[in-house]
Amino acid sequence: MNDRQLLRYGRHLLLNEFGIEGQEKLLASRVLVVGAGGLGSAALLFLASAGIGELVIADGDTVELSNLQRQVIHRESSLGRNKAASAAEAVLALNADCKVSTLQSRLTGSNLSDAVAQVNLVLDCSDNFATRHALNRASVSARVPLVSGAAIRFDGQVTSFDPRRASSSCYHCLFPDASELEEERCAVMGVFAPIVGVIGAMQASEALRILAGIGDPLVGRLLIYEGLSQRWQEVRLAKDPACPVCSVVRNFHRSAQHAPA
Amino acid sequence: MTITVPVNLPTPLTLYTDGQRDVSATGTSLDALLTDLDRQFPGMRFRMIDEQGRGRAHMKFFINGQLHRDLDANIREGDRLMIVAAISGG
Repeated sequence: MNDRQLLRYGRHLLLNEFGIEGQEKLLASRVLVVGAGGLGSAALLFLASAGIGELVIADGDTVELSNLQRQVIHRESSLGRNKAASAAEAVLALNADCKVSTLQSRLTGSNLSDAVAQVNLVLDCSDNFATRHALNRASVSARVPLVSGAAIRFDGQVTSFDPRRASSSCYHCLFPDASELEEERCAVMGVFAPIVGVIGAMQASEALRILAGIGDPLVGRLLIYEGLSQRWQEVRLAKDPACPVCSVVRNFHRSAQHAPA
Repeated sequence: MTITVPVNLPTPLTLYTDGQRDVSATGTSLDALLTDLDRQFPGMRFRMIDEQGRGRAHMKFFINGQLHRDLDANIREGDRLMIVAAISGG
């Protein structure tokens, strides 16, 4: 770190748990944020200000007037622009040291798995189950930690999955992929503005602590936020031994390791 | 023996309870609690359990904070049921 960085990140360096070593890990990290909407807005601003070295921002949508009620990274001047591009501009204005690249379309297929495989951690700030499941599959396959957040109405949920840990469940263990999944969109159901900030900031906290290697991440725990009564609840997650996503991959790796040469 | 336990509902199910999130249900198994919820709030069970009697993918049951996938799970005095619905908004 140079003198300016020592000054800039000084309040992190004062934290015993963090120190120079923790900050250097952040500066050397590459993080993919899928979705530059409400969750992504809050998460990206904290990731950039806290000194993540490189951010990859993926979003295929454009900024609309109704987004500005809660998607605090965007400005009125960004209306009609791609959200990833708008967010990238805000990130650079906040921290010019942060390298930023954008994927300005909805991530699917090999684009998605390639993007996940090239980073140290992924934040799921997306707004649909199809992307959530695709990201989960890519995260398990590439063994990249996934910080998952979701919010609608007054409700929020946040957890982390770490495929590097044998005991970690995955998103599919919790909510299996099913055609009957009811998509509830903010455009239809509504969303209370600060909820996405609360959950997005929690996702940033998870990402920073996982990357710096400090504290206890939410692996194996799901936090549920009831914004109408300001109540947090915690439940414990369990790996599904029959999960076709994480159990199959793990068994494949195990059998590959033990296969005769 | 009847056992009545507190139940915390996710927002989609409060459609059946006039907005109430904290209710109670009576039964000695998870399945019995869901049946009792349906007795009190007709139609609620089908939102959680499909025609084949399987739990729906986007609804999960936590007894004392622990995930239970088996509807035959026993309920004891002092237990607490929390039902969590998947949300996808971002």
